Amino acid sequence: MTSAAITKNLTKRYGRKTALADCSLDIPAGHVVGLVGPNGAGKSTLLQLICGQLAPTAGSLTVLDGPPVTGSPRIGFVAQDTPVYGNLSIEDHLRLGRHLNPSWDDDLARERIERLDLDPKQKAGKLSGGQRAQLALTLAIAKRPELLLLDEPVAALDPLARREFLQGLMEYVAETGTSVVMSSHLVADLERVCDYLIVLVKSKVRVTGEVEELLASHHRVTGARVDPEKLGPGRTVVQARHTDVQSSLVVRSTAPIEDPAFTVDGIDLEDLVLAYMSEAGNGRDRILEKQR
Amino acid sequence: MIWLTWRQFRTQAAVGLALVIAVAAVYLSTRSTLLDIARDTGYAACTADCGKLAQQFVQTARTGYLGQLYQAGALLLILLPALIGLFWGAPLVSRELESGTHRLVWNQSISRNRWLGVKLGGIGLATAAVAGLSSWAITAWASPLDEVDGWVVPLTYAARGIVPAGYAVLGFVVGVTIGMLLRRTVAAMAVTLVVVIAAMVGGVFFREQLVAHSTYQEALPADWDGGISLSPDDPNHAIRLEVGPPEVATWVLTNKILNSAGAEYRGPYDPDYCGPNATKGGSGPKGCRDWLTSQNLHQKVTYIANDKFWALQWRETGVLLVASSLLAIFCFWWIRRRVA
Repeated sequence: MTSAAITKNLTKRYGRKTALADCSLDIPAGHVVGLVGPNGAGKSTLLQLICGQLAPTAGSLTVLDGPPVTGSPRIGFVAQDTPVYGNLSIEDHLRLGRHLNPSWDDDLARERIERLDLDPKQKAGKLSGGQRAQLALTLAIAKRPELLLLDEPVAALDPLARREFLQGLMEYVAETGTSVVMSSHLVADLERVCDYLIVLVKSKVRVTGEVEELLASHHRVTGARVDPEKLGPGRTVVQARHTDVQSSLVVRSTAPIEDPAFTVDGIDLEDLVLAYMSEAGNGRDRILEKQR
Repeated sequence: MIWLTWRQFRTQAAVGLALVIAVAAVYLSTRSTLLDIARDTGYAACTADCGKLAQQFVQTARTGYLGQLYQAGALLLILLPALIGLFWGAPLVSRELESGTHRLVWNQSISRNRWLGVKLGGIGLATAAVAGLSSWAITAWASPLDEVDGWVVPLTYAARGIVPAGYAVLGFVVGVTIGMLLRRTVAAMAVTLVVVIAAMVGGVFFREQLVAHSTYQEALPADWDGGISLSPDDPNHAIRLEVGPPEVATWVLTNKILNSAGAEYRGPYDPDYCGPNATKGGSGPKGCRDWLTSQNLHQKVTYIANDKFWALQWRETGVLLVASSLLAIFCFWWIRRRVA
C-alpha cells in the first residue's frame, strides 16, 4: 500500500454551498501529511469524506485500498474541537473505547493516561483544553488505526499544550509508523511534524508534495522590477509583489535560478504556504498590478 | 454499545425506576383502604341492584386522599408520554449533535445504525416498562372505582391498561426524531412537548373510529325522564328534549330524540299542552310530557360500552406502535443520509 487515500474529482456540496470542488489527490501512506488552508477551505470536509462520515456529492475516493466506511476499525479520527463526553470520566472514555473497538489496545491507552498525569476518575468536562485533546488522541490511537486523521487538533490550545500534544503524536508515529493526516490553518503547527504538505484554498488543492522537495524547489527572487513572464521556461511564479523599483517573487523551479540580475534565496515553509494562499486570494490585485 | 447506552442513560433510568417504585408502593399499599371502603359501604357484599351502594362507595372513596390519588394517577399517566419525550427522547441525539460528541462516538468501530438501534431499542423498552408498570399499578388500584364509573370514559380510558405505554413509546420516538431534525436540545424539547400533546388530543378524537359503535334505539317510554327546553316566544314552537342515555352506554357518542319519520325531533310543540300558556293535560310540565310521549318519539344513542375496553386498548396501542416504528425507520434513514 503506497496511498492512504486517493481522491478523484471529489466534490462535496451542502445545498448550494460548495465545500470541496473537484479535488484530486493522492495522499501517501507512511507520512505525516499536513493539510493546510485558511478557515472554510474544505479541510474538515475532506477529512470527514475520508473517514466516511460524509458521502461525496460527486467524484470518487479510495481509502486504504477500499471504499470509505463509517466506523472502520482501521481509521482513527480526532474531530475538530476534540469533543469528549463532559459528564463521563476518563475511565469511562477508556471503557467506551474498549467496548466499541475490537482492536482496542487497553495497555497503550492506560499507559498514555498515566504518562499524561491524568486522574482516570476525573470527569472529562473538567479537563483543560490540552488534556481534553490528549484524551481524544488517546481514544483515537488506542484503536490501533492504520490511518490517523486529525482535524485542527491544536487550534484551540495554548502554545505549551500544542507542543505537548504534537510531541505525543510524534512519539506515537515514530513507534508505529502510522499514516497521519492532520489539518491546520496555521503552518507553524505543521512545520515541526509534517513531512508532506497539501495546501487547500477555497475548496481547491493548490500544491502538494513532500516538505523537503517543496522547500528545495521554491525560491524567493528579488531584484529590479521584472516582468514575471520573462523568467524563462519551467518556472512558475507563485506570488509576485512589485514596488516601483523592485520586484519580489516566489518562484517554483526545479532547476536553480542563476541570473545575476536577481538575488535568489531559499524560502521557509510558512512563506511558501502563504504565497500559495495569497495567490489564490489576490487574483484581483494582480490584474490591477498589470494595468498600472 | 450496550454498556455506553447504559452509562449515558443510568441517571434517567434511576429516575424512571424510582418513579415506578414510588407509584407501585403508593397505589398497592392504599388499595386495601379502598377495598375497606367498598366493604364498609356494603357495596362489596351487594349482589343485586347495587346502583345506589356503588354510587355511595365511589363518592366516599373519591373524597379525602384516595380521591387525590385517583386524580394524581390519571394526571401522571397522561403527562408521562410528554415527560418521557422531553427528557428521554429529545436530548438523546440532539445533545450529541450539539456538543459534537457524535463525531467521537461514530469514529469508534461501530456503525451509526447500531449506535442508534441500541439507543432506540434499549431506552424504548425502558420507556414501555416504566409507563406499563405505572399504568398496571394504577389500573389495578382503580379497578373497583372504574367498575362503577366505566372503563371507557375517555379520561379514565387514556390512563388505564396498555395505552399509556403506547403513548410513552410514541412520545420517546417523537422526541428522538425531533431532536435529530432540529439538532438543538432546548428547541427539540419545546417542539416535542407540543407534538406529543397534539398526538394525545388527536387520539381522543380518533379513538372512537377504532371499534364498531353500539346503537340503542327504543320508543320513549311512558315514564321517561329528562329535560325539556323551549322558548315561549318562538313562533316556530321549537322544542328540545334531553333524555339520559341507558346505563350500558358508558361512552356516549350521540344521543338524539327522533320523530316517527326518523329525523331528529325539534317540534313544533302544541302550545295548548306545553309552555307557559298550556291549558290542556293538567297542571305543570306533566301535561307536556304526556303530550310528547304520545308523539311516537324514539331515543337513539350510539355508544361504546365497557366490553370494548380491551379491543380499543389493543388497537390503539397497535396504531401507536406502528407510528413509532415508522418514525424509528425514518430516524435510521435520516441519520445515515442527512446527519454529518
